[in-house]
Amino acid sequence: MITLRANILNVAVEGMMLVSAFSAIAVGSVSGSALAGFSAGIFGAVITSLVFSIITLRFGAGFIVAGLGINLLAAGGTLFALERWYNSPGGLRPLGFPEIWYVPEGSLSFVPFLGSVLEGQSIIVLLTFLAVPACWIFLYRTPTGSYLRAAGEDENAARSAGINVVRMKMLAVTISGLLSGLAGAQLAMNKLHFFLPNMTAGRGFIGLAATLFGAGHPWATSGAAVLFGFFGALGDRLQAFDIPAQFVLMLPYLVAILALTFSRWRIYVRNKPAKL
Amino acid sequence: MMSAELKGSLNALIAPIGAIVLTMLLGFILVAAISDEPVLAYRELMFANFDSLSNFAMFLNRATPLVLISVGITFAFRAGVFNVGGEGQLFAGAITTTVVGIAFATLPAMILFPFAVISGIAAGAAVGWVPGILKVKLGVDEVVVTLMLNTIVLLFTSYLVNQVIRDTTAYGAVSWELPEHIWLPSIPGIPDATSGFMIAVVLSLASWVVLFRTQWGAEVRSSGTNLRYAEAVGIAAGKRVITAMLIAGGFAGFAGSLYVLGIGHRFEQNFSPEYGLIALTCALLARVNPIASLFTALYYALMLNGAAYMQISTEVPRSLVILLTGLLVLLMTARLARKDTNTQTFDAF
Repeated sequence: MITLRANILNVAVEGMMLVSAFSAIAVGSVSGSALAGFSAGIFGAVITSLVFSIITLRFGAGFIVAGLGINLLAAGGTLFALERWYNSPGGLRPLGFPEIWYVPEGSLSFVPFLGSVLEGQSIIVLLTFLAVPACWIFLYRTPTGSYLRAAGEDENAARSAGINVVRMKMLAVTISGLLSGLAGAQLAMNKLHFFLPNMTAGRGFIGLAATLFGAGHPWATSGAAVLFGFFGALGDRLQAFDIPAQFVLMLPYLVAILALTFSRWRIYVRNKPAKL
Repeated sequence: MMSAELKGSLNALIAPIGAIVLTMLLGFILVAAISDEPVLAYRELMFANFDSLSNFAMFLNRATPLVLISVGITFAFRAGVFNVGGEGQLFAGAITTTVVGIAFATLPAMILFPFAVISGIAAGAAVGWVPGILKVKLGVDEVVVTLMLNTIVLLFTSYLVNQVIRDTTAYGAVSWELPEHIWLPSIPGIPDATSGFMIAVVLSLASWVVLFRTQWGAEVRSSGTNLRYAEAVGIAAGKRVITAMLIAGGFAGFAGSLYVLGIGHRFEQNFSPEYGLIALTCALLARVNPIASLFTALYYALMLNGAAYMQISTEVPRSLVILLTGLLVLLMTARLARKDTNTQTFDAF
């Protein structure tokens, strides 16, 4: 999301999530510490995002192609590691994985409604809720944030104003790596405690759609993401009824296309020259 | 003059070949680190495809969809549309041909065969048309639309194959078998190699002629390079872009259609090891040239099948190839962009 503001379509979040999920589980199971696993997850994703930004910004590779390449690399690399070191191409399920911290009951009772929802969720969920306003503050209320947006809006203008565009873009990709690391760690560590090849299952792409849907604005984007997440969860529930699961699973993607089309259509109508 | 032109095309060759060589070298180091027999592993990876006629047939079968999709993607790329939707278009073609073939199984082959193929192509083209028209009319980002459409089409085929045309006697998500009289014959002399491969070769050559030696092709390419300029000189650029997407979708749909008619003889939900994405890589590696795409697709088919042989004889994991593919994509784009910063067609993203 941050990356979009720097005018980068970050397709690589999928790969970053995967790397994060894998390293979180691998390190967590070896060290027996949830904190170590969690930090390894974040670390893995940030490293991946650094590779991504070096390749694209230093060597000028196209963002989409390089992003797809990163995704392939992540999928292949994690699968390769699974087959090689754990001898189980089906997935990695360590015995006795340490629990991550959950928000203890009653600790958030001073927050109306939301507090009781968050209780019992993993600490990562809480972090996510904090990340949204943090992003907003960063993008709109700090000098660095506004440089970053400027670099995305008009590269040349920003450069002539003395902003280091490459550094800004790098920062954007790294932050996005950090956040997708959170996502990957949550996916693997919360309740499941295992890693499956391709377990991210397109979540990165849905996130991308949410970003475009929210036009790169933190609040709108997280709103869209919650909506898509709702559709995903709805899909899991509706499978119990007669509606084929596949149709329900399609919903977030369909909504994404329609929403994108609609938002572009509105701009198109607005910009149409008035009739004389 | 001549030598300059020769030098240019040589340069165009050096970058992708350099990327391939570098990737293979890195892969070799990786294999050497985990296996006692790296040389054997690499021999299997590269040459086991030619060990027997049946291996060779499987290699051709693997290459056929790749060639078709990547040649189709060439049209889209040349028209300036970053078509990531090969996978969805492929699935659309495959499922439509299957449904038509099963639903009208009693029709004679003379009618049913063209009907099944054409509806497969049409389905692929329709899936390609959506991002094309959205991009031209409203400026909706085609990458996102094609990515989303891939998932939608895949889910839809999964519904059809699981709930509607599922072969209840078989294990896994596969459809009923197609009637035998519309199966595509194999290449004479190579049993089990689909003759679809020959069609793919012919089409890749024809595509080169169309794109680079006809006025229509020139118009498509100029629309892709600069839409406004093309429109200013009187080319119906939007139309050309949409047609190019129809062709790209049609090629991928055709690939799916030929797959079920010539190779699978039924629709299998997991028949594609990400053909769409690999074909995209092929097209890029070939610098968006249809004839070069033919060769890069063959190279990838070699690697994909070779990986299986490698795993059998040396226990080097097959996923090595996915890893190498990712590496190759990164190296290739990085080198490509560094060499000629003026001619990047896809740097817009």
